[in-house]
Amino acid sequence: MLCNTYKMTVGPMHSVTLYHWEPNANSGKPMLALMEKGVAFESHYLDLLKFDQHQPDYLAINPQGTIPAMLHGERVLTESTAIMEYVNEEFPGPRLMPEDPRDRWRVRWWMKLMDQWLGPSFSMIGWKVFVGPAVSSRDPGELQAAIERIPLPERRVAWRKAIYGQFTEEELKESQRRVALGIRMLEQELANRPWLASNQYSLADINGFNLAYALPLSQPALSNDELTPNILRWLRAIYARPATKACWALGRTNLVKRVTVLEQPHSGGGG
Amino acid sequence: MRMTLYHGEPNGPSLTVLATLFAKEVQAELVRIDLESGQRHTLPCAQEPLVAMSVEGEGAVLVVAGEAMTDSVFIACYLDDVGPGAALRPADPYGRWETMHWCRQMTERTAPAAAYLGCWAHPPKADAALLERIGSVDLRARWQQIAAGKFSADHLTDSRTKIHQATEKIEARLDGRQWLMGRFSIADIETYAWLAGMVRLVPAAFAAKPRTTAWLERVRTSPAVAQALALSRTGEPAASWSVGPEINRWG
Repeated sequence: MLCNTYKMTVGPMHSVTLYHWEPNANSGKPMLALMEKGVAFESHYLDLLKFDQHQPDYLAINPQGTIPAMLHGERVLTESTAIMEYVNEEFPGPRLMPEDPRDRWRVRWWMKLMDQWLGPSFSMIGWKVFVGPAVSSRDPGELQAAIERIPLPERRVAWRKAIYGQFTEEELKESQRRVALGIRMLEQELANRPWLASNQYSLADINGFNLAYALPLSQPALSNDELTPNILRWLRAIYARPATKACWALGRTNLVKRVTVLEQPHSGGGG
Repeated sequence: MRMTLYHGEPNGPSLTVLATLFAKEVQAELVRIDLESGQRHTLPCAQEPLVAMSVEGEGAVLVVAGEAMTDSVFIACYLDDVGPGAALRPADPYGRWETMHWCRQMTERTAPAAAYLGCWAHPPKADAALLERIGSVDLRARWQQIAAGKFSADHLTDSRTKIHQATEKIEARLDGRQWLMGRFSIADIETYAWLAGMVRLVPAAFAAKPRTTAWLERVRTSPAVAQALALSRTGEPAASWSVGPEINRWG
């Protein structure tokens, strides 16, 4: 487990340690929120593909073996979206939740849709094309033992399906349907206002960027400058922020290098 | 600000929003809808994306200044922000994290299980024409399964396990506490709203859990929850169920 300290502008009263994988999906949410707030944190990179998150030293911190987890002084915090709200409220720095209570409701509504409905569909596809193939060449016995160590039964099922390519056609088709609908919903919502859930940059945008930053690459026929100009405008605006650049620089795999797709105009594959 | 709350029998999401509204002393026009027959899908706002695609399934809808809001925990947070009544979330960020973390586990793990078991024991009934109007394809599919009486044995077993896990968590949490977050909060309301109907359906989960049993009674008789329960037309609100959140598709 590697450990680095990233010093940023403000030092909190107690030290912050974040256990995370790549700036992507759930790990990237608290990473980017901390960086937007200018909170210095000690970064513990857990290699998801080496199952670091199921090793005893991490399970001592988060017995569920899910990533990310944050330590703040003596406190242990889990659940990436709830951690982001904590980071926003606990530390000084730019406010990442809007002032208006109805805007705050909209931020939470969108985060739930992304966390519980759209995100799992994106990740099923992502696990099939990236995570599964990345680990499936390992020693079969070692993989089997790694699966057995996963504390949550639901996660054991997910890993087994990803490693052995067991997602059914029906499951993948349903995920693709949700991804297509989710893209249409995001495009429609982003036509209403500059940011996803309110007129100011918020946790909903941080959450959404972690989910969707590679869309023009992963779903070129559904998301491009012609079909979804508002999604592309929104992703590029978030990518242009210094905190996002600093955050994505912490990535170590090809997964997060996909973010550079936002540096070029993008047209649909043949469409 | 003018508000209209469309709600069903005081159970599940409707109970959460009604009890929060009363606790926060917020004035709203209350409009009864029959969630068990899918009447929410006849509302003028039914096809708005943030109504049609609510992860919660069939729940209350609060309309504020023309905007239709769904998802009971987040409506409760909104009401907590705007109402003059006593705060329903802790003031410190860590206590607020605990509340949101607790409610997330409740909505993601317990609510789908409770709704599945509730619909199995007390099936909601929507006619075919109404099912056609349901904007979300996956919510419509859940309705169709229930209408056809198709309940998976695996899901029923898993749902009972989830209710056991919830009450074990509550029993442990209430060690030295009267309320889940120390003071009466959204977490108590939301947790009670999903579990009240499970006492009869999964009695073993509540057996030999004296703290949980006492807490259920404490929540039931708290002024705002009692006021919401008094709106019941059936006299048995905990037996009123409609289609809830989806059981996790994977992982």
